[in-house]
Amino acid sequence: MIPASVPRSVANAILRFAVWIAPHDTLDWGRGMLSELNHVEGNWSALIWSIGGAGVLAKHAILAIILPGSHRRTVSTPSKLFEKEGPMRKPALAVIASCVVASLLFFIAPVFRQAFQVSLAQWHDVFHVQRALGYLRADPELNKLAKQAEQDHDPELLAFVAMREPNQSESVRLADEAVGLDPNLTWLYATVAVHWSSFPEVDRWVPALQKFDPQNALPYLITAEKIDVDQVLRESVPHRVEDEPAAWKDAMAGAFRSSKLDDYLDRRKELNRSVLLHYRVDDPFQALADECWYRLPSYGVSDSSKYARLLVDSGNSLEGRGDHKGAAEKYLAVARFGQLMEPTDRFFLSGEIKDAYRQLGTLAERNGNNTDAAFYGSLSALLDRAAEKQLASWRSLSRGSTISRWNALLVRLSGLALLFCSALLFVCAVGLMARGRSIRLSSIRPSLITLAVGIGSAIGLLLASVVLLASYLPYSELLQSFISTGDESGIPELSNFLGNVQVPLGTVGFLGVSNVVFYFWFAITILCVLALLIAVVRHMQTRARTTAPA
Amino acid sequence: MKTPRLSPQTLRVLERFVEHPTSWRYGYELSRETGLKSGTLYPILMRLAKFSLLETKWVTTEDGVPPRHTYRLTPNGVELVRATFAAERSALKTRRVAFSGGRA
Repeated sequence: MIPASVPRSVANAILRFAVWIAPHDTLDWGRGMLSELNHVEGNWSALIWSIGGAGVLAKHAILAIILPGSHRRTVSTPSKLFEKEGPMRKPALAVIASCVVASLLFFIAPVFRQAFQVSLAQWHDVFHVQRALGYLRADPELNKLAKQAEQDHDPELLAFVAMREPNQSESVRLADEAVGLDPNLTWLYATVAVHWSSFPEVDRWVPALQKFDPQNALPYLITAEKIDVDQVLRESVPHRVEDEPAAWKDAMAGAFRSSKLDDYLDRRKELNRSVLLHYRVDDPFQALADECWYRLPSYGVSDSSKYARLLVDSGNSLEGRGDHKGAAEKYLAVARFGQLMEPTDRFFLSGEIKDAYRQLGTLAERNGNNTDAAFYGSLSALLDRAAEKQLASWRSLSRGSTISRWNALLVRLSGLALLFCSALLFVCAVGLMARGRSIRLSSIRPSLITLAVGIGSAIGLLLASVVLLASYLPYSELLQSFISTGDESGIPELSNFLGNVQVPLGTVGFLGVSNVVFYFWFAITILCVLALLIAVVRHMQTRARTTAPA
Repeated sequence: MKTPRLSPQTLRVLERFVEHPTSWRYGYELSRETGLKSGTLYPILMRLAKFSLLETKWVTTEDGVPPRHTYRLTPNGVELVRATFAAERSALKTRRVAFSGGRA
C-alpha cells in the first residue's frame, strides 16, 4: 500500500528537478507550476499535474540545447542589458560534462584502451612510425620488456624481445644471451638468422643449430642464403646454378639429404603464448607479430627450386647414360624434399617436384612396376590439387572477410572521431578560459557557436567511444582466446582486421598510402596558413579600430 | 501584429479570460475550468505571453503560502480575442444562413 502523501512528494520532486533543468526564460513558468501544485486537489491529480508541467519544461530544456539561441535570458535590469552572453546553461553543462566523463570512464576498461591503441595504427604512416604488423617495431612496451628481461635474466622473455627487436646487433646480442641462459632455446638462432639473413654470427650459429637439431634442413638453407646475400653484396651473382660455389652446393645437398624441415613455428608460438600470458602483454600487434615472420630464409625457396631443377636435370642426364638407379636417387631426393616442405613453400617447387614424380613413374613403368607408377601419378595429381587449394587460400586471404573490413573501417572512423571531438572540446575549453581569463565555471560565458560545438563534440566523443568498443570487442575476445587457450581459429580473422586497421582512411590497400600522407600534410599546411592569415587580418582590424579618432 | 495559431484549446483558454478581462487568473483554476491538463495549458499560456497577449504577475495570497503565478490578457490580447470571437460569430452566422437557405 502506497502512503497517500507519496504521489504528492514524487510530484514535487519531479517538478523541482524540471525547474532545475529548465532554461532561464521558462523558470517563472516552472515556478508557477510548482506553486500551483500546492493548490491541486488530490495527490494523484498533483502527480499528473507535475508530470504534465515537467514534460513542458523538459521539452524547453532540450530545445535550449539543440537551438541555444532560441532561449535567451530575459533582460530585466539595465545592467543585464549590456551582457553579451549569459552564463553557461546548466543543462548544456550537464550534457557536456556527463558525455566527457562517460567517455573517460571507457578508458578504465583495458579492452577500450587496447581498442584506442589499435585505432591509432592508421597514423603510423602519417607520422612515419614503422608499421606494426609486418615489420618489427620499437615501442615503449617492448623497451620495458627488454629491460625487465635483462634484469630478471629470463631466457624466454629475452628470446621474445630478441625476435621483435628492430635493431639487428641488439637482436643478435639478446638471442645469444637467451641461448646462453637456456641452451634449449638454441632454435632461436634459426629464427633470428632467418630474419636478418646475413651477419657474422651466422657462421657460429649454424654449427650450434646442427648440433642442436642434426636432422633439420633449416641450418643448411641459412648457410646457402648467407652465401647468396654475400654474392649480391659483391655483385657477383652466378647466372647459372651450375656456377654456384661448392659451399652453396654442399649446403643445398645437406638440406636435401635431411629428414626434416622444421621452421620451429610451434616452439615460437609456445614461447610467445607463455610470455604473453606471464607478462600480460595485451598489444595485439605484438601478439600477432609471429604471423608475419618469415618461416624460411627468403632465398630458401628460390635456392631449393634451383637445386631441385639441378637434381632433375642431372637425373635426366644420368638416365640418358643408362644409370637408372642414379637417376632415381636424384628424382627421389627432390620428391622427398618436396614432402618435407609446407604446402605454401611446396607450391613454388611444384614444377620440379612434378617433373621428379613423372620421371620416377616413367622409370617404374620401364621396370614393369605399374603399382609404383600409379602411386607417383597419384602423388602428382595430389600436388595439382594442393596447388589449386593454396591459390584459393591466398585469394581469400588477400580479399579478407567483409566483416573484418567493415569493423576495421568503424574502428578507424571512431578513432578519428575521438581525436577530432577531443581536439574540438579542447579548443572550446581553451578559448573560453582565454576569453574569460579564468577557469571558474561561473565566469565561463560561451557564445552560441561555442556551446553548440561543445555539445556536439561531447556527444560525438561518447558515440565514438561506444562504436569503437563495440567494433573492437570481438577481436579482443579472439586475441584473449588465442593467448589463454592457444585457440588459433580466430587468428586469420584477427590478422585480417589488424592489417586493414593500419591502412589510413581514404586509401585502397597500402598502395595509396603515400598519397594520403601527402594530402594530409598538405591540408594541415593550408589550414595553418589560413589560421595565420585570419589572425593577422583580425589583428589589423583591432589595431585600426583602436587607432581611429573618436 | 503577429499572432499565434489559435487552436480549439487556445480558444477555450481565451474564452475563460475574456469573461473577466481585467482579473488575474491562476493556472490550476484555468486548468479546471477548461479541462486542460498542465501539459497542454502551460504551452498555450507561454505562447500567448511570447506574443505579448498575456501578462504575468506573482501574487502573495496569505502568509506562509508561496506566491502564485497569475495571468491576465494584455490590451492587445483583449483586442485580439474580441476580434477573433467577432469573426467567429460572423462566420457562424454566415454558415447558419447558408444552411438555412438564405433565411437569416
